[in-house]
Amino acid sequence: MYGGSQNDGNSLFSGGGFMPSQATQTPDSGVSPAKSRGTQGVLPLTVKQISEAFHSSDDKSGFVIDGVDASNVRLLGMVTKKMERVTDVSFTLDDGTGRIDVNRWVNEAAETNEMAAITNGMYVKVNGNLKGFQGKRHVVAFSVRPVTDFNDITNHFLECIHIHLCNTRLQYSAPSSMGGSENDIYNLVLGVFQEPASVASEHGLHVDEVARRLGIPMNKIKDAINYHVDIGHIYSTIDDNHFKSACNG
Amino acid sequence: MDTSSPAVFVNGELLKVHQGRRVRAVVQVSRADGPTMVGQSTDGHQLFVKGSPSLFPPSHFVEVIGIADGGGSIRAEICTDFGTSFDAQSYNQLCVLANGELKSLFI
Repeated sequence: MYGGSQNDGNSLFSGGGFMPSQATQTPDSGVSPAKSRGTQGVLPLTVKQISEAFHSSDDKSGFVIDGVDASNVRLLGMVTKKMERVTDVSFTLDDGTGRIDVNRWVNEAAETNEMAAITNGMYVKVNGNLKGFQGKRHVVAFSVRPVTDFNDITNHFLECIHIHLCNTRLQYSAPSSMGGSENDIYNLVLGVFQEPASVASEHGLHVDEVARRLGIPMNKIKDAINYHVDIGHIYSTIDDNHFKSACNG
Repeated sequence: MDTSSPAVFVNGELLKVHQGRRVRAVVQVSRADGPTMVGQSTDGHQLFVKGSPSLFPPSHFVEVIGIADGGGSIRAEICTDFGTSFDAQSYNQLCVLANGELKSLFI
């Protein structure tokens, strides 16, 4: 299904037609005009991945998942708690891995009609912009379309897996022989420890967990951990395999 | 944002692992036995769906979200008719992936 030359996860999903509504949502785009959203496309994700996504607080919507900018996302799940208001429609999307609030602004008749067809209990595909506000994450949707062929559900989650693997394994296994990659791995490892979920956990993270998450060979992970322990970024907790970030978020 | 009660993708085999937890499985309806729907899981096991809110025609694929009980049965919360043209084999593979090394994306 995913054979051929499509080995770059992002290239599969580039070229969404959502530029106009994005422009209206980010009128202050003068801050970072260089950020080429067009090349990123939409990233198929599970709600669980979003809940664990790293959110850099200095940037307005700087979500990073598997090392990739996750501002435009595609989710698939069941609609619950739909609420219609004059200017927007909101609902909670349950994709089986978690629940996330989705908001759709309705300005034109076409948008109103699209949202009127959506009912609770319906499976929908949501393309939207991932937002973080005061620690809460939600999606501002560009489109909400009912799933008509239920194989799309299987397909969506297989896409999530495929893209996850593309963005983790392929990306990091290739440049590992190049100079300078050592630092990248150090930063990646530290990034995992500094995720909110890792900081919140009492015993910190197991080495295996870090290796599994990053898809980097264990010896490299251990090197990076030793480095960060020496420097004082992380410390060992209940045993020699568990480490935690020294800074509290 | 709430990931406290996920519904894990399961087939007949994986259902045993998740007893007492929220799961989702696709079954192909074989018959209705009173309030219980009997169907085949995507890996060919016989599954019993208790408390199915509505009757589904035989040979339809139905997605059941509910709590995994013992003995290959699910206490249904939500059932969705997936029709007759559903690729059970791919779904079954997805169940295996979602419970294997890629578990972290799902639960």
